[in-house]
Amino acid sequence: MPDHDAAPDPMDKAYAQADAVLSDDSARAERRARVLAAVAREPATPPAGTLLPIRRPAWRRGGWLVAASVAGVSLYLTIQLYPSAPFRPHPAPTAPAVMPPPAAGAVAETRKPASPTVAVAQRSATRSSEDFPAAVPSPAPPPPALPPPTAETLPAAPSAPSQIVTTGQRRREAAPNSQASPQETHGDRLPEAMVSARGDLEPTPNSDLVVPRASAPSAAPKSSAGSPSQVVRLHAAAAAGRTGELATLLAEGVPVDATDADGETALMKSIQADHPAAAALLRRRGANLDRKNQSGDSARDMASAMGDPELNQALGLDP
Amino acid sequence: MEPDAADDADLLHAHSAGDPHAFARLYDRYDRPCFQVIRRLLGVAHSDAAEDLHQETWIAVSKNAAAFDPTRSSFPTWLFTIARHKTWDHFRRQRVAILASVQDDAAMMVSDPGQTPLEHVQSRELAEEIIAAVEALPLEQRCVFVMFVQAGLSLEEIAQVTGVAVETAKSRLRYARAKLRQSLAGERSAHA
Repeated sequence: MPDHDAAPDPMDKAYAQADAVLSDDSARAERRARVLAAVAREPATPPAGTLLPIRRPAWRRGGWLVAASVAGVSLYLTIQLYPSAPFRPHPAPTAPAVMPPPAAGAVAETRKPASPTVAVAQRSATRSSEDFPAAVPSPAPPPPALPPPTAETLPAAPSAPSQIVTTGQRRREAAPNSQASPQETHGDRLPEAMVSARGDLEPTPNSDLVVPRASAPSAAPKSSAGSPSQVVRLHAAAAAGRTGELATLLAEGVPVDATDADGETALMKSIQADHPAAAALLRRRGANLDRKNQSGDSARDMASAMGDPELNQALGLDP
Repeated sequence: MEPDAADDADLLHAHSAGDPHAFARLYDRYDRPCFQVIRRLLGVAHSDAAEDLHQETWIAVSKNAAAFDPTRSSFPTWLFTIARHKTWDHFRRQRVAILASVQDDAAMMVSDPGQTPLEHVQSRELAEEIIAAVEALPLEQRCVFVMFVQAGLSLEEIAQVTGVAVETAKSRLRYARAKLRQSLAGERSAHA
């Protein structure tokens, strides 16, 4: 069958002629000069492979040098500041022997943390050691098999979420009667709304480790049902237009308006990928057209930007 | 326009290798369609930004010349993808233009009035009417229509540039033409 849409149309010709009638060659010449001058001022990026191998080792060496310098200066200042007046008459032999333990802490404080993961791990370790003091009596039995958290979590923590889960598990092991539900466990630390919003994510006992919604790093669901993996699958099915999988996941109880880290719903995914059938299914299941993502755009805005009549019809936006 | 992908790629390669004339030759091939596509996408309300976005597009082409892969797409497809992204970025920064197209939804499905006597556009007034009708199209339809007519991209290339299926691009082009015919027929009957 011939493709009539790809063939020239009288409207195409009319537009081309109208554009030619209104063309302005003098403006074009000025524009050419300006653009080429601007391009000449911004040189082309050299082909890949010439800069990176040189830059990276230099940056790494520089980073270690800076860290070592800061550590050295901190140590020197600590040694110079901590010896008190009575020891000044006998500086050399005695000063290192009486250097108090805070010196190590002072050194650590002056260093910038290598990454947020390390910072979280340090905070977690500190909190854990505060939570399980040896001398404080506790109604829950002390964790007999609990390894010292500092030694395990500090050196090579792979990522922050695993730290959170590990700490939460330890807390439950330490207090077995608190395993009933996340709400019961953390009711004194987290607002109820936040607990329910976390869904079945592994709860963290440390309220200071709760990731704010806006900066949540993973695709955490924002409603009470549906695991993160189910939400991810729901969004993937919506983006791929797999209506069968969408229906199955929704039947399993995945919330239709569950959002990812960008605040986007499955309906938004189906609209962006231009899958009217998936969008229609989600709408029938009650997906919200006006809920906004973190950029402030709603599914309705996205649909209108797409400009696809079939999609708009599927969403019920056509008059 | 019948782009020669191999030549375009050669010119781009020569530019990244330091040939001072290669980029100007490439620019001259696509300057007009690139500028007009950006200008039509922006519409009247944002036409002031056309010069800047056009310049930003070509600077991006120059800076990323080494990254262009002629086996993945033709140069025009790559160029108009950059131009479209620049325009959409502008809309996002302004936060108005994409939302403004909501009002066009009601007029999106129109009956095609058939042929209109526009084969010979000679008067400036009629030309301005046609351009105004194009700029009043819904954004995505306008994008497809202008890229098809002005830039000479195929429907497959337009689908690649806009990130939609070929059938979607095709239906957008069909709706755009029908709506243009309808608006221009309305204009002409109003004048009569």
